[in-house]
Formats: sequence, C-alpha cells, structure tokens
Amino acid sequence: MNPKLEALFDEPEKGYLQADELNALSQFVSSLPERISFYQRLRNEEVTLMQSVADALQQQFPQESEAKLKRSIQNGILMVRYAAMAMLTDDIDMVTKRLESWLPEIVEAYDTKAIDIALYQLIKTQFAGRFSSTQMALLIPGLDAAERLIAGGQLTSESAEAITSESLVGLF
Amino acid sequence: MISVADLLVDDRLPSNYFASDVYIRGTLELGLLENRRGDRLLALPDALMKSIVAGLNQETGQATRYVLRNCGLWWGKNFYARFCEELSEYYQKGVADLSMVEFVKALQECWRTHGWGALIVNTDYQMKGFLVIEVQNSPFTAHAIQPNQPSGALECGVLQAFFSQLTGRDLTCVQISCESLGADRNRFVLGLENRLEAAEALVQEGQPHAAIMQMLTQ
Repeated sequence: MNPKLEALFDEPEKGYLQADELNALSQFVSSLPERISFYQRLRNEEVTLMQSVADALQQQFPQESEAKLKRSIQNGILMVRYAAMAMLTDDIDMVTKRLESWLPEIVEAYDTKAIDIALYQLIKTQFAGRFSSTQMALLIPGLDAAERLIAGGQLTSESAEAITSESLVGLF
Repeated sequence: MISVADLLVDDRLPSNYFASDVYIRGTLELGLLENRRGDRLLALPDALMKSIVAGLNQETGQATRYVLRNCGLWWGKNFYARFCEELSEYYQKGVADLSMVEFVKALQECWRTHGWGALIVNTDYQMKGFLVIEVQNSPFTAHAIQPNQPSGALECGVLQAFFSQLTGRDLTCVQISCESLGADRNRFVLGLENRLEAAEALVQEGQPHAAIMQMLTQ
C-alpha cells in the first residue's frame, strides 16, 4: 500500500486518526474497485497487449537481433506488471524501490537502452488507445518511474557492462 | 516473429530477488528474522563485531586476522552454496545457465540487502588475470585489527571462498585498501596464488592500491 497510508496505522498509541487522515484512507478505498477491475484487465489481456507492442517494436527495429528484442520485451512485460501492482496498491514508489539498484545495470549490461525507450513509448501509445484516460492516469506514474530508471543518468559504477557471460569463469 | 506467449511459458519473469522489502521478513513473534525462503537471518550489532575483534586480539594476539580469515573461508563456502541454491530456485534453472550479469547483479543486491555494504566487481584487470572486488560501507572493517593494517580478514576469506568456487580455481585474496585506514572503500584483489605472492608485502609496506595493482600487473 501507499507508504503514507501504511504509516497511518503505525502508531495507535499517538491517538485517533484525524479527519484528513481518514479522508485519505476513504479515498484510496473508494478508488479500489476501479483499480482492481483495471488490474484484472491488464492481467487478462497481458499477452494480447504485449504481443501488439512486441510486433510494433520488431517493425521499428528490423535490423536488431531477436535476442536483444526478446530481452527488451521481457523487461517491458516485467515493468508493466510492476506498474500494475503499483497502481493496484497506490504505491508509485514501488517500482523505484524494488528496481532502482537492479534495472539500470541490467539494461546497461544487455545494451537494450535505446530499444527499451522506444518500447515504453509504444506501451504508452498503445495502452492509451485501449484504456480510458482515468485508467491511464493510474498506470502512467509506475510506467514513468520504470522509464526514468532506464533512461536515467549515468551509472555510478561501470561494473556490469564489462562482465560478459564467460568472462569471470574463464578469468583465471 | 517474437511470441509473447512463448516468453511467458512459465508465467514468471525473474527480477530483483534480493529487493530488501521483499527479501527480509520474519516470524518476529517467535524471535525469528528470516529471508523470503524462511531461512533465519541475524542482525549483528556493531558492538558484537567490535567485541569479537577485541576478544580475539586479547586471546590470540597476532593471530586475529588468521582466525577471522578462516571464519570467512568457512562462511564463504556455505554462503556460495546457499546463494546458488536460492538463485537457482528463483530462476528455476541451474546457476551455470544464468548469465554472469544476472549472477553478479544478484550478488551485489544480496550484499546490499544484508547490510554488508555496496559491492562492485571491478573487471579492469581482468585481462591481466586479476579480479578486484570493491566494497563501500563495509560493517566488517569498521574496527581495526592491527594498527596500520587492513582489517578485512573476514571479508577476504568469504570473497576468496566464494570466487574460488564460482571459477573452479584455487584463488587467493589480498586486501589492498581499507576503509578503516581512511580509504574510500575496501578493495580485494583475487587471483592465482603465485601471481599474488608480492601483494601481501606491498600491503604491509603501506603501498596505495593503485601502485600495488600496477606492480602486480607489470
């Protein structure tokens, strides 16, 4: 759940919750049916949605190796799942929290950044054509968070990029 | 054409296994802190680390670093086995089939989530047959063992055992910079024993890590 909402339950010893705190809770609860039904659609239509994104991506990068495109699409599916979970729980920081130390280096190591960025554009345009703007407003923050991680600034370490599959084992 | 259905055959896509908010849990009413598979975790207080070093120094004198290194070797052997077990369970394939990127990334995240510091695998000296592991904010070198000497004997042992098993070679590990001596991070160089013979003496002389690496790779 949204950490701000979760924090509401942390300290009953401090006293009863105030009106604005209960309001925030009510707002989340009343938005839940919409979140759940959107989540169900994303779940049920995952393969169709992502296949159409994958097809468009392949058209956009006809020269690119299938392995790289597959890797990028896999990342895309994963990010939509994270964004969907973030939407369901109203916790937009979830994507950043779980993936910020992991995703950028994986993208760097597999060298899929340019493809990933194009993939996000495709996801956003294609989803916008299928879902309402209210629904998109719920999903976009999570997708944007993932996109920021991928597009984001320079990596602090250069560790992952030089490591290829065999290099460590064949090192000595 | 790429088929999304084929990519999702087992419906799961591995991501960051060691993400801290998912990895660390517990049955706290029973006094158990656990990882996501239910293996017990312990929170080691800094004062205990300090006491171990002080106790060993008092009882064994100069031998503290050898004892700690030995502990590290045992720990590393078991840690490697458990780490591989966890990863292959999560990825549903053998560790040998994981890409090295995923493996190293998982190791970094594992280190971070356990609070052992930020670990970097530096491959700059790879062509020369050395691997340098860098750790920032290590809890294991917070307390000096001997004045003016690196204090990462425990870490040295764990890294040596871990990477020896990973590469299938008998590696040696020498610590060439230490946070307890004012360095920005701990650096450990791993390589074959005969290639690292000179390193220990250079460390004793107090040579900076860059100079040590230069001499080793000449």
